Amino acid sequence: MSVRPANLARLAAGTFALAYGLGALAVALGPGELTTYAGRSDLAATLAVVAGFALVAAGLVTSFARPAGRIGDLALPASVVWFAPFWAGWKGGPPLVLSLGTLAAGFALPLLLHLVLAYPTGRLRSKRERALVLAVYLEAGLSALGRALFRDPFFDPYCWDNCTDNVFLVRSLSRVARGIQDADLWFTVAAAAALAALCIWRLAAASASARRTLWPVLAGGIALSAATIAHSVALVRTPLEDPSNPAFLSIFAVGCAAVIVIALGLPWGLLRARVQRRSVARIVAELGEAPPPGSLESALARAIGDPELRIAYWLPASRRYVDGLGRPVEEPVVASGRAVTALVRDGRQVALVTHATAIAELERELGAAVRLALENERLQAEILAQLHDLRVSRMRIVETGDAERRRLERDLHDGAQQRLLALSYDLRVARAAAEAEGDVQTASLLGDATGGAQAALGELRELADGIHPAILTEAGLGAALESLADAAPLAVEIGETAGERFPAPVETAAYLVVAEAIDDAARRGASYAAVTAPRDDDRLVVKVEDDGSQRTSTMIRLADRVGAIGGRLEIEATTLRAEIPCA
Amino acid sequence: MRVVVADDVMLTRQGIVRLLRDAGIDVVAEAEDADGLLRHVRLARPDAAIVDIRMPPTHTDEGLVAAQAIRTEHPAVGVLVLSQYVEPSYAMRLIEEHPERVGYLLKERVFDVAVLIDALRRIADGETVIDPTIVSRLVGRRRREDPLADLTEREREVLGLVAEGLSNKAIASRLFITERTVEAHVKQIFLKLQLNTNSDSHRRVLSVLAYLRAGA
Repeated sequence: MSVRPANLARLAAGTFALAYGLGALAVALGPGELTTYAGRSDLAATLAVVAGFALVAAGLVTSFARPAGRIGDLALPASVVWFAPFWAGWKGGPPLVLSLGTLAAGFALPLLLHLVLAYPTGRLRSKRERALVLAVYLEAGLSALGRALFRDPFFDPYCWDNCTDNVFLVRSLSRVARGIQDADLWFTVAAAAALAALCIWRLAAASASARRTLWPVLAGGIALSAATIAHSVALVRTPLEDPSNPAFLSIFAVGCAAVIVIALGLPWGLLRARVQRRSVARIVAELGEAPPPGSLESALARAIGDPELRIAYWLPASRRYVDGLGRPVEEPVVASGRAVTALVRDGRQVALVTHATAIAELERELGAAVRLALENERLQAEILAQLHDLRVSRMRIVETGDAERRRLERDLHDGAQQRLLALSYDLRVARAAAEAEGDVQTASLLGDATGGAQAALGELRELADGIHPAILTEAGLGAALESLADAAPLAVEIGETAGERFPAPVETAAYLVVAEAIDDAARRGASYAAVTAPRDDDRLVVKVEDDGSQRTSTMIRLADRVGAIGGRLEIEATTLRAEIPCA
Repeated sequence: MRVVVADDVMLTRQGIVRLLRDAGIDVVAEAEDADGLLRHVRLARPDAAIVDIRMPPTHTDEGLVAAQAIRTEHPAVGVLVLSQYVEPSYAMRLIEEHPERVGYLLKERVFDVAVLIDALRRIADGETVIDPTIVSRLVGRRRREDPLADLTEREREVLGLVAEGLSNKAIASRLFITERTVEAHVKQIFLKLQLNTNSDSHRRVLSVLAYLRAGA
């Protein structure tokens, strides 16, 4: 840790707060009389002193442990103000000390309220909170000013702790002073209620992991609010505050306990943050050499304790966000209870992380190793996304080709075939006419032409069937394979075949595998081929085994075809096996 | 004979209609899709319907579906399906449930008036008609151990004609032999192929087709 001016100032403030607290303790333990709670009851004295030193300690620990340290910077002045009543109740102490003590005591609630609301980051999170904090400081300042100028404690009928000294008094106006006291009382009730409401709301809205960090401080804040309100109500009923009164004493004890809880809660949050940071730093070591794609997200979520954490990687080339597996995701947006942190490396955005708002300054928590891992995973995600795009476009090309073949087959049937049919009709009519006229030669020529037209029709039919077998679309793979076997130039046995229908690309690919395998088998002199196409879970497994000579062809077009829809083709000497995803 | 003709291509439909009328057959209605066909059959009660297998909207097997509907709803009406496809499974699908009074002919044969009229006559007589191209493809199907190799030339000829749906009498007149000889051939064939002898000539078409198709 380098020694910077800010840290020197903190060191000085800490030392001062400690000395000041010890001074207050000396006053309390000293021979003189102490008119406050601490002077009346050992329990009250112990609680008040423990609370004060707890604040000092929390302030010292947190202001150094955290680079930003704002929380610690608030805890130290709070501890100073906390000890103020000790000085104010120092009977026989210097008048200036007594007067300052009396005025400073009024700032305890504003500082503690600010401390609770600013936890854990040291920053206030909303306009609402900033307005409340500003209002309580302002009111405390005005109230202190008014009392300094116009309140002569000697003439205050309800005075109880310091009833002798106000060195700032300009003019004794006891009614004005009384009015200021009353207004302060009611304002304090309102401020405490607001604090309690905000604490409860924050606890309710926080994620489970955030709640674990927040609860001690916020619970302390709620208890403090309750004690403050109870104190004000007690004062309304009994205007003269009496530290010996069991009701007042109990309220005081609860307030002290609340401050102790808050003070202990500050290093608790720190500890949790540190544990979190360690586990974040450990992520990379845990992921190992070659983590599977997308594992960083779950590792980070686990380390931070936020199962909802999501990482969206930015792909600048295609201007979109993807997850660790390269799948497209929506651009993350801030939602209630969720924050979005942009992770930047070398001035370029790497990813957006959606996480619970309680994880303050996530970016700083990530060490260099995690950043590198994030950048690596982004690159991996980019490649996976491109691969996915490629796969989709490959499939689209195949589907477009298939659609084209189906269209062609239909066009042949509905266009060329119909014309040929019409032609053959005309030829027969003409032939009949020639026969009727006794023109044997013409009739014979027309007869030959009719035969030609018939042959053309037959060839056209074969052609159309080769381009795309209609029975595949209409009746499915089983019927189409039987049909292949009917027409094959070798004995083809169709074994176990999945009876259900599959998406057209799956059926077409399976059909083409069998058709090409049979052709290939015939070229290699095979006399027999066994075909099976059963379904195995989410795959259609097409297998063609023949008794021909060794295969030489690489069947590359078929492999491409099967690969285009995510399948795999195994080529062996006399066996062809395709696995096609069909789910 | 009263006939309804269904084909979505006007040229072909008109050609068929003219051919039939020239041959003295009464064409009572024309339809261009399956719905129209079913309506005309219901209203006109023809002896037979000639149906193109490809009709709107999908141009695949609408005609086949319509044919099956006609056979179920109007058992007295025969159906001749005209098809572009040499697909035994279509033909078998057609005769599976109602083997009598149905026919499956390749479309390119439709303007051969003798074939067309013969098919219609046979259907009207309650017989089954299967296109010879389909039968020859099945008979010619390659087999590892071909049981058909045990048949004589004449027996194979008779087997083909049985598969085409011809009755013993029709086979006899086609081959210029006596019906009794045909019966003897058929008995011999069924014995050699270990097929169940069945006097019902419609059922025997289906069982022969199924036999020819089974296994390699």
